[in-house]
Amino acid sequence: MPDKPHTPADVDDAGRFALSEDWLATAVGLVIVVLAAAGVVTEGWIPL
Amino acid sequence: MSTENTRSTNTPADDRSLEDSVVGDGRGLWTLAFLAGLVAVVVGGAVARYLAVHVPEWTAEGSLAEIGAAVEYPVYAIAVGLALNGVLAAAGVRDRLAPGFRTEFFIKTGLVVLGATVVFSVIVRAAGPAILQGLLLISGVFGFTWWLAGRLGLDERLRALLASAVSICGVSAAIAAAGAVRARREQLAYTASLVIIFALPSIFVLPWLADLLGLSPAVTGAWLGGNIDTTAAVTAAGSIAGEEPLQIASIVKLTQNALIGIVAVGLTAWFAFKVDRTAGEKPRAIELWHRFPKFVLGFLAASVLATVFAEQASAARLEDFDATIKVFRDTFLTLAFVSIGLEFKVTSLREAGWKPVGVFAAATVFNILLALALASVLFAGFTLD
Repeated sequence: MPDKPHTPADVDDAGRFALSEDWLATAVGLVIVVLAAAGVVTEGWIPL
Repeated sequence: MSTENTRSTNTPADDRSLEDSVVGDGRGLWTLAFLAGLVAVVVGGAVARYLAVHVPEWTAEGSLAEIGAAVEYPVYAIAVGLALNGVLAAAGVRDRLAPGFRTEFFIKTGLVVLGATVVFSVIVRAAGPAILQGLLLISGVFGFTWWLAGRLGLDERLRALLASAVSICGVSAAIAAAGAVRARREQLAYTASLVIIFALPSIFVLPWLADLLGLSPAVTGAWLGGNIDTTAAVTAAGSIAGEEPLQIASIVKLTQNALIGIVAVGLTAWFAFKVDRTAGEKPRAIELWHRFPKFVLGFLAASVLATVFAEQASAARLEDFDATIKVFRDTFLTLAFVSIGLEFKVTSLREAGWKPVGVFAAATVFNILLALALASVLFAGFTLD
């Protein structure tokens, strides 16, 4: 395989999606923590 | 680069399935395949949680009581993921459902929630040794992997991806490095496959070895967090090792995650000035922020929120809060571990040839030994109290 630069859009897409997934995970996680502190969500919300 | 360093015999269709199954990139999001894949993960998670709760009860009276009580939920989650993987592959639908196997999202959400179980003062106290260990480990392992891959004549971009993945944080680091060095997509997919294939046994072997070596909980956590590549696998191994190792392993791993921006900017500069010699493409300082894993901020914020809450809440409210947080944390981590099992693909090893596998294996052994030495020195005597 020749060692030359490539600019495949899908690699950029992967990077961009990983970043937005970071923010989504942060938002979801913090919402859970805040709602748990407020007593809105409880242990019983998850079955089993 | 010789063809043995990537795959030479698979078809374009194989490429697509490999990429889609290993590197989640948002393509096909919210399609029927994505939703079906997500359902598979959730069903697998429910089965794993059911087994984790009920197997100890079923085995309590018999000769398997000790084993039943000792096996932690990550083991069930990964086993169920692997079993589902086999069933879906046999049915010929596994690769089509792969967009729903969102290991990265589940692990990051689980880690943000996990932040609420860690007292902020512990993060502050652990930050110094964690940053020092991260810097030494990343420098040492990246340098060793880069050197060895160079000696074996691997492509410059594959060298960068392998070195980043094994020294920093697995798939996330490989994605960041791929963007920095403009790697080929198949190189990214292949590196991600190697990360998963090597991480899987380490989840079970390293906690057992830590116990065998008589390591303290803090040293165990620092060792696991320092040497296992992918964050999900670190969390799985930490969960198996215990609550204290899990907290330290998370702090150490997130510290390494946070250093990814520096490596990505360094790689951008190296390839722009030394490899590709594209003078117009200078790395920008803003890249440090672009590459910074934002969920680390979520982890810190959750710890601060929980620490403030703990100072004001009654004992009963605090107990309810802790129980709720741990259930949600374990649920997201379970979904991540099921996804790891679903993503496992042994054929990737055959597709690539022995050289990158050999480099990755040698780098992994080097990483294990260096991390053990550093953790033993830097976290000696560290406690959560």
